[in-house]
Amino acid sequence: MKRRAFLKSSALASSAFMVPSFLAGFQSNRLLGGQPGKKLVVVQLSGGNDGLNTVVPYRNDLYYQNRPTLALKDSEVLRVSDDLGFNPALQSLRELYDDGLVSILNNVGYPNPDRSHFRSMDIWHSASDSTDYLSTGWIGRYLDTFCEGCDKPYHALEADDGLSLALKGRQRNGFAVSDIPQLKRTTDSQLLKAVSKYGASMPHHEEENVAYLYKVLADTQASAGYLQTQLQTYRSKEAYPQTPFGKDLKQIAELMCADSDVRIYYVSLTGFDTHANQKPQQERLLRQYADGMKAFVQDLKRNNLLDETLIMTFSEFGRRVKQNGSGGSDHGAANNLFLLGASLKKAGFYNAAPDLSQLDDGDLKFDTDFRQIYATILNRWLDADSEAILGQRFATLGFV
Amino acid sequence: MDKIKHLYWRAGFGLSAEEWTERRRWSIPKAVDHLFEAAKKVAPVPPNPAPPAGFEEGDKSQKEAFVEKLKEERRMVAQQGGDWLYRMADPAQSALLERVSLFWHGHFACQTKFSTLASAQVNTLRTHALGSFRELTLAMARDVSMIRFLNNQQNRKDSPNENFARELMELFTIGRGHYTEKDVKEAARAFTGWSSNLRGEFMFRPGQHDYGVKTFMGESGRFDGEDIIARILDKRATSAFITRKVFRYFVNEQVDEDLVAQLAKRYYESDYQMEALLRAIFESDWFYAPQHIGSKIKSPVDLMAGILRKLKINFENDLALVFVQRALGQVLFNPPNVAGWPVGKPWIDNSTLTLRLSLAGHLFNSAEVNLRTKGEPEDLEREKGIKKLQATVDMSSIFRLLEGVRNEQIPEVLADFLLVARPNGFLEALAPHLKSAVSREERIRISTMALMSLPEYQMC
Repeated sequence: MKRRAFLKSSALASSAFMVPSFLAGFQSNRLLGGQPGKKLVVVQLSGGNDGLNTVVPYRNDLYYQNRPTLALKDSEVLRVSDDLGFNPALQSLRELYDDGLVSILNNVGYPNPDRSHFRSMDIWHSASDSTDYLSTGWIGRYLDTFCEGCDKPYHALEADDGLSLALKGRQRNGFAVSDIPQLKRTTDSQLLKAVSKYGASMPHHEEENVAYLYKVLADTQASAGYLQTQLQTYRSKEAYPQTPFGKDLKQIAELMCADSDVRIYYVSLTGFDTHANQKPQQERLLRQYADGMKAFVQDLKRNNLLDETLIMTFSEFGRRVKQNGSGGSDHGAANNLFLLGASLKKAGFYNAAPDLSQLDDGDLKFDTDFRQIYATILNRWLDADSEAILGQRFATLGFV
Repeated sequence: MDKIKHLYWRAGFGLSAEEWTERRRWSIPKAVDHLFEAAKKVAPVPPNPAPPAGFEEGDKSQKEAFVEKLKEERRMVAQQGGDWLYRMADPAQSALLERVSLFWHGHFACQTKFSTLASAQVNTLRTHALGSFRELTLAMARDVSMIRFLNNQQNRKDSPNENFARELMELFTIGRGHYTEKDVKEAARAFTGWSSNLRGEFMFRPGQHDYGVKTFMGESGRFDGEDIIARILDKRATSAFITRKVFRYFVNEQVDEDLVAQLAKRYYESDYQMEALLRAIFESDWFYAPQHIGSKIKSPVDLMAGILRKLKINFENDLALVFVQRALGQVLFNPPNVAGWPVGKPWIDNSTLTLRLSLAGHLFNSAEVNLRTKGEPEDLEREKGIKKLQATVDMSSIFRLLEGVRNEQIPEVLADFLLVARPNGFLEALAPHLKSAVSREERIRISTMALMSLPEYQMC
């Protein structure tokens, strides 16, 4: 395809290839969006978090029968309802829960669950049926079509050095960066500056793919500059965990509190694949998660941002009801999912606790398709058309 | 010369300095013949030593030892991916054979967990890469990694598993719209009992096979898997499906349906001989049309194999290549899913492009690259490690290539060698940066690094 046709047909048409005019377009256009101000933060617990030891059915005999050494004693759990309690490592989350800032959805999954990490994570990212393979993700497709004014890649920002499938669209991608100052230094290298200067000096590139690469380079350099400036605007005083995850959350909070033009943030915490010696490992991670969330919510609250922020935490699958022979648990299916924020319509438990007497081949059955949650967020929070993005109509829920 | 470069990129991984000197003025027919002849002369990849008994995934009696073994195997499979990259880069090997094997690896995409299975699969791909697609499909249906990846171990007479049968039709042969759900079920029955043993070999288990009559694509008989494959390949739609994919990979992402129809006819009439199909492409005039030359974004493996073919690089850490594969999103023996790797723009996002464009700089400066890769879900903690791409770059073959070239012509000669399509005006833009070069060698190094940092270098 020649450049002229490309410009006409492409969603990139709005941003010029020339760096100077391109930079000029990099001012905050927050007010152009459908619902200004509303933010989504996605927290991914990678490896398959054991939901039954996260939110514990501490009165259920079947739980104790299936997990003779892995179960948490009812005296250990932090009771939040008559039948469910939090893992003791979730003390900080419990405080948020008591403030009405947490909603928990039980039994979230999808039909024909896949027990491979990669595949199940792909299914969550692409929002496909388990028999379909998509090369785009649900957030990427949102950016493609329904995020007005989202022509800057950093409108969906992942705290990582690689971009997850969830944030890849057909025409637009999200932006991945773990260390903003480092990215700025890299893109400011003499060599890359000379390359982009050269790219901008060319009236056009004959080959469409070459033009695309120059555009992504210019976007990356401009985005690194924008994010660096934003990062210097606000300094958080909260105590985040001294871990990569804690640093990621702190960086996100600082960008949010600087009123950055980012609509969706994406961050991961890894290590939940607890096949052996699960208890100390999972508790260390859950503590990190809960302490991070508490500091993050404090930052947002202090800056009056909590009303317009929704935080979703998920994992690619839960784990088997029965413990294994190594003090751990193996890959399972349905799991719980957390929503945090000050705009939740139903704080507490959104639906019933898992039924441990009705299992599907040893795994919890799902009663809520994760795409119902996406559909709800897309329709009611991000003001988009979930059916067009997900390719199917899913019944929405009432959590926002 | 643009045509020769185009041919050697699509049929291989570009030309080394010595090959460039020797072949740049070769005629296309001569080069094509040479590529196919060389492919017939290579030896198989040496098999891995047989693994100790009990390596089979189902054997979890000794869980901790098994987990350790898995980790070691994962490392060895990664190592084999590195070895493969070096073969792609090695002018003493057949670039065409490696290129076509890589294409089939992405086509019959499956993840391999054990090194023996990885070397067995590579040899299957190499054996049939340029030969018959019928034989290749049958061999892949018996490939142990494939059987395990698509659950054919669990495909038994009394409880059929449709996973392999479905992907065989949807992704490997005929494509959607040419079969029914009933065909999937009947095909699954025909593949019951196609299994593997503890030594990692294919094994047919008669007790699990369904010997009954199946009705498949309108015919009835006591079909087994071989009969099913034969019937699918008898359909012209299969030839069209594979030819379209070959066109997208070897010619252009933008498919020319008229050309695909002509090629598919020829492929079908040759009874699915890959050599016939590829010769029809490489020997045509249209293949060398300007819109195809330099139109493809290199995959991460293309990019690395291409660099290693042009520059001799000795990495201090063996796993450096695996790290780059992972960071750029293409790890050999570990495609993202059964649909294989995407083509073109999906390779590119801000992080992968930044690394691609700064890769030459990292290598020439032996840099510490502070990147956090996604890692494996089994990893205990996400690493935030400094990955050292410490390496020595041996420029001697490039120095030889430039012997007798005047200093001011160096960038131009190098651009011809390194880039498929020459960027107008870049050489002028480069000139001021060369003023600081204190020696001829420095001038060559800076020019090489700068040209390899251009978006145009990402194209093939």
